[in-house]
Amino acid sequence: MTSGTDIAPSTATSAPVVGSRWQMRSLAAREWLLFLLFIGPNLVIFGLFTYWPMIENVRLSTQRWNMLSPRRTDVGLDNFRYLLEDGVFRQVLINTFYFTGAAVGLSLVLGLVVALLLNQPLRGRDATRAIVFAPTLLSGAAIGIVWAYIFDPRFGLLAQILGWFNIGSPDWLNRPEWAMPAIIIVYVWKNLGFAAVIYLAGLQGIPRDLYDAAKVDGANAWWRFRSVTVPMLSPISFFLVVTSILSTFQSFDIIRVMTRGGPVDATNTLVYYVWDEAFQRSNAGRAAAAALVLFVLMMVVTLVQLRYSERKVHYA
Amino acid sequence: MMSDAKHTTSRRALLKGAAGAAAGAAALGVSKSSRAFDAPAFIRQTGSAVEVLFWSSWGTGTPNGEAEQEVIRRFNESQQDVVLRHEFQGTYDETAQKLSAALQARQTPALSLLSEANWFRFYTSEFLAPMDDFIAANELDTTDFVDSFLTEGQRNDQQWWMSFARSTPLFYYNKQAWQEAGLPDRAPETYTEFAEWGPKLVKKSGNEVSRWGFSHPPSADFISWYFQGTVWAHGGEFSDDQFAVKITEPNSIAAGEWLRSTVVDGWAAPSQDRVLDFLNGVTSSIMQSTGTLGRLTTEATFEFGNGFLPAETNPGCPTGGAGMAILATAPPEQQEAAFKYIAFATSPEITTFWSQNTGYMPVRKSAIASPEMTEYYKTNPLFQTAVQQLETTKPQDPARIYIPGGDRIIGDGLERITVNQAEVQATFEEIQGQLESEAQPVIDALSAIEG
Repeated sequence: MTSGTDIAPSTATSAPVVGSRWQMRSLAAREWLLFLLFIGPNLVIFGLFTYWPMIENVRLSTQRWNMLSPRRTDVGLDNFRYLLEDGVFRQVLINTFYFTGAAVGLSLVLGLVVALLLNQPLRGRDATRAIVFAPTLLSGAAIGIVWAYIFDPRFGLLAQILGWFNIGSPDWLNRPEWAMPAIIIVYVWKNLGFAAVIYLAGLQGIPRDLYDAAKVDGANAWWRFRSVTVPMLSPISFFLVVTSILSTFQSFDIIRVMTRGGPVDATNTLVYYVWDEAFQRSNAGRAAAAALVLFVLMMVVTLVQLRYSERKVHYA
Repeated sequence: MMSDAKHTTSRRALLKGAAGAAAGAAALGVSKSSRAFDAPAFIRQTGSAVEVLFWSSWGTGTPNGEAEQEVIRRFNESQQDVVLRHEFQGTYDETAQKLSAALQARQTPALSLLSEANWFRFYTSEFLAPMDDFIAANELDTTDFVDSFLTEGQRNDQQWWMSFARSTPLFYYNKQAWQEAGLPDRAPETYTEFAEWGPKLVKKSGNEVSRWGFSHPPSADFISWYFQGTVWAHGGEFSDDQFAVKITEPNSIAAGEWLRSTVVDGWAAPSQDRVLDFLNGVTSSIMQSTGTLGRLTTEATFEFGNGFLPAETNPGCPTGGAGMAILATAPPEQQEAAFKYIAFATSPEITTFWSQNTGYMPVRKSAIASPEMTEYYKTNPLFQTAVQQLETTKPQDPARIYIPGGDRIIGDGLERITVNQAEVQATFEEIQGQLESEAQPVIDALSAIEG
């Protein structure tokens, strides 16, 4: 409340000439106040809806609670010990890496291929760009329902297409070994367009004279791609890898709709596991512990990527 | 210089604004805490109708949802004291999940539909209101209720949960497939007989099976509910009434071996959506709730029959479905009003209407014996199977429905058997261990509240 008199405009603006300690302090106080004023509302919202739940989650991970009872029991590290020994959780971790690796890898590689094609002056290019990007905008739940029909081994579209080549359709969603590939296909189909559009923007940002210079030096198409396109796209690739890994790590909707984590946990990934433990099995503590594992993993991924990016990524 | 002065004034204005916002937030905080669980003013006024919020699990557009809307419409028109407001919350399990969350947020409905596998944990967490005073005040004739439906909702000499949409699993079969296989037009009487019939129902084109004899649900579609019948029929059980787990006893294991043999012998397969598979002719038979009879009747393009679940050393069939519970967090006048709807919805007239439109069983003896139902069964014999089977049914073992997650612990093990042909003994031992460790907190909670 003293600030009202402290920050009179005249003293503040004429400060450089005199520079007394009192004035310096008042300037610092003023800066702080301003800082708090701007940052405060955000800090409160972040604190309330992000940091407090995170701290609460850590506390919950050391408790046993059925999501309902007024009583919570402290169990120390039992929840983590359970996860360590649980075969299902091990499977969930493997699934998460399998899924993330395949889904991110494929959508990036295919996204780049599509972007390269769409970067050519072909007929109907704009329409194709729109079609490729469209799935990104659709809701995961709706996509899941439609693809469940497409995957039907007897009446599904995919079975028909495979039938033209005399290939029998696998029983995609009922077999543990096929369910995850099915989910990956859907995710790649959904996210390919996003990667393609971002790559396309990147491709168009590469200066033509680099290619011309390479041509003069006698580089063929492959070498131009390797030595110009790929390095010039590396910041784009980096951005896509980070965002895709973080988003596929947290995938839920399509899995929930298509397989419910099954059959026999074949498509059970970390976020699904957290939800399932908390809301289907009423083990809030165990779910909190698994959520913490997810948090640490994502933290590690982010740190590794930051490190890597400083050294390898070429920023134009 | 000018701009600097301007800045300062705007900062002042901002500060003032912030102070105002803080005061506003504080005011909000105060008003929020003081309003918790208080009825809106119009409800406290005498003479006006009490509004009751009811959470339920059937969406409009489905046969069951439409029937429920009609029940609610009739209730609201039948009297002036209570206005029931219905909110659809998703499946049974989603309804229970949302109610858990609502209880944490202290924003609950007064009345909720809860499945037979979900109400108990709300009871052990002491969130349900006892109904006996309401039953007395409304002079509800409890002796007319089907006994097992009534007693399943009782603990500690009080009614906590009232049966409304009760079901049992039934055996449904595709008559055309049955005919092609040269089987008599009825459900198999024993599991042994079913295992003899099963391979005859399989149709193959090359190595691809185009029609299975039977389809197993996944864990998330309650395989353990159907298997409850199988395990009883073999003389086993999941647990006794005191939560002692019995799934590794020889008779329970025998039931598990039967389950495994269906997939090892190649006539049954797991399916993510076996109702759809049945409707598409991909599977010849399924076990499915009576509550699905309405849908099958509307959607099947072939003739199908139904029957009791098979027996083995003895018959075995669990009850299932849902009932209603009143939340103890609701103000007394809303609790009272909520019960009026329970009384109405379970009345002989309404339970008859509900049953005829959904396939769920009437909860009143007088309704089952009524001329309307007798007449109805004559023209719709499939609807009668459940009621006839009722004699052989009983409420499920506590291990499945009273241990939180018990359904999934058992179901996950069974799914490993139907999908991966896992060994029964080892799988059931794992289930036993998990059930035992999860049972302990429930036993503790029960001894705390029931003594």
